[in-house]
Amino acid sequence: MEHVIIGNGIAGISAAEMIRRLDPAGAITLIGDETFQPYCRPMISMVLDGSIPHDRLPIRSADFYEQFKIKAVLGNRVSAIDIASKTVSLENEQTFPFDRLLIASGADPRPINADNLHLQNIFFMRTQQHVRGMLDALSNTRRALVLGGGLVGFKAAYGLLRRGLKVTMLISSGYPLSMQVDAKAGEMIQDELTSRGLQVQVEAHVVGFDGNERVERAYLSDGTEISCDIVVIGKGALPAHSFVPRDSIKVDLGIIVDRHQQTTTENIYAAGDVAELVDISRKCRWVNAIWPEAVSQGRIAGMNMAGRKVAYKGSLSRNVMRIFGLDVMTAGIVNPAPNADYEIMTATDRRRRTYRKLVFLHDRLIGMTLVNCVEQGGILVALLQSETAVTIPKAKMLAPDFNYRQLIR
Amino acid sequence: MKKVIVHSERCVGCMQCMAACAITHSKTRDLFSAVLETPLPKPRIHVGVGLFNEGFPNRCRHCDPAPCQLACLPGAILRDLEFDTVLIDPDKCINCASCAMACPFGVLRYHEHCFAPPGKVVAVKCDNCIERQMQGLIPACVEVCKVHALTFEEPAEALKRKTDEVARSVSAGVSQSDLTVGFTLLNTHKRKQIELGRD
Repeated sequence: MEHVIIGNGIAGISAAEMIRRLDPAGAITLIGDETFQPYCRPMISMVLDGSIPHDRLPIRSADFYEQFKIKAVLGNRVSAIDIASKTVSLENEQTFPFDRLLIASGADPRPINADNLHLQNIFFMRTQQHVRGMLDALSNTRRALVLGGGLVGFKAAYGLLRRGLKVTMLISSGYPLSMQVDAKAGEMIQDELTSRGLQVQVEAHVVGFDGNERVERAYLSDGTEISCDIVVIGKGALPAHSFVPRDSIKVDLGIIVDRHQQTTTENIYAAGDVAELVDISRKCRWVNAIWPEAVSQGRIAGMNMAGRKVAYKGSLSRNVMRIFGLDVMTAGIVNPAPNADYEIMTATDRRRRTYRKLVFLHDRLIGMTLVNCVEQGGILVALLQSETAVTIPKAKMLAPDFNYRQLIR
Repeated sequence: MKKVIVHSERCVGCMQCMAACAITHSKTRDLFSAVLETPLPKPRIHVGVGLFNEGFPNRCRHCDPAPCQLACLPGAILRDLEFDTVLIDPDKCINCASCAMACPFGVLRYHEHCFAPPGKVVAVKCDNCIERQMQGLIPACVEVCKVHALTFEEPAEALKRKTDEVARSVSAGVSQSDLTVGFTLLNTHKRKQIELGRD
């Protein structure tokens, strides 16, 4: 059996490990764009902010590929998949035949439309290489401009603030992390950051940059300009599937897969940031490009590729982060559209400095936000994933003494 | 392999397990000196209060596969195969709380402890008292539980015992069906106190 995996991110790695566990003899070829050892992508923001050294990024041993008998083909991107002949072609024209194929090519930073993007010190923040470049530039930079208030932009701003730079963040929503938190939590987060020196500008976007080799200023759509010597573009990530033949494999924002992580073509699977599948709380297809999803989806895809038809219930958006003195955990639908069926319950405890928000659809929990005291949030995440009916008084779930015992009879 | 089995209907909420756990995971391993240590030793088992004041010893189940292990970003959570125990390496831990987000039981906590690098806040949870087991001892929480809400036995044996109890209780000629009379009485009392307090 020839297993080919496109992508050496955690989805591809998890799938490879699972296949090897279930199929000791099958051949596994893993094609990766990045040549660096398999590493934890979310941790690059900790390298940026200085809390961990770069050499702590790898999450598998140096002999990982050898240990799992994986043929690693690194440093090249896939250019095409030929469905009829069941081969994958790379940009350097190498070809690989497959019986089972997993597309775990992840996502690429969304580009922006602005002049002079070629200037030095303008970065995306997706790979360890990007962060290495940013760290090299740090020694002669003082004013950072971050585009985007989502997860990437946010982590970039936080990291650069911790490195002692003056940071201005340009966001298009009313508050940072608008996809992850509600207005109240967003306000708490923004206050925490501005109290540490972050400047936030809302509804402004950049039309161009200027400078002599290195970026020196940015021009905004409202006619103003901001002087900056380092720029980070965090305007989202787009699933990377340009090489996928659209006539055979259905693609929307991501590659559409069923509950077995299989695409619309038999024996071809997708997992991780590139995949689009049913979201448990939203009840519609969604791309949840987060680390724990990539792990779960990679494992499920690997099981199915190795012959075990395991079904995945669906993805769930969730995040946890520590921002200076604030801890935030969110999951599911945190900003429900106005709808009489949704029940939203909140609780603020000034003494404990906590904020809790729970969103219910009838007796099912569909979203939650926790600010501070987040340790037991996993209980709520499990409730979201299992869709268990909540039979206890809902207000109990907002109380500081809420714990696992209160959910069992 | 013997495991720690929780018989939650017997928990009276005394929290001795929490004290024993914290003391075992301290430098001096003695109550009177442990409370003076820095960092202050903390328990890895947590007695949660139920809706009617029932006790419940909430400890890590050492799940297989372990959601915390799969979620861990730096790969700091591993399984010890000899003792079938899920362990957190405090040197690798980056305190990101991804494990807490993944744990369906809410057993993770974050603080300093004497087995972690000094001054570093790390993820902490039950380690099955693996060091005690290596010395032929049983987990501290089990040793101290007076009501046998926590036992250390082969799961198959515990299951057999429970099956036999239930079988006996539903046999013809048996008048009493409550298997844990004293505990049921205690919990009924607690529940009534709360309900009366509401009126």
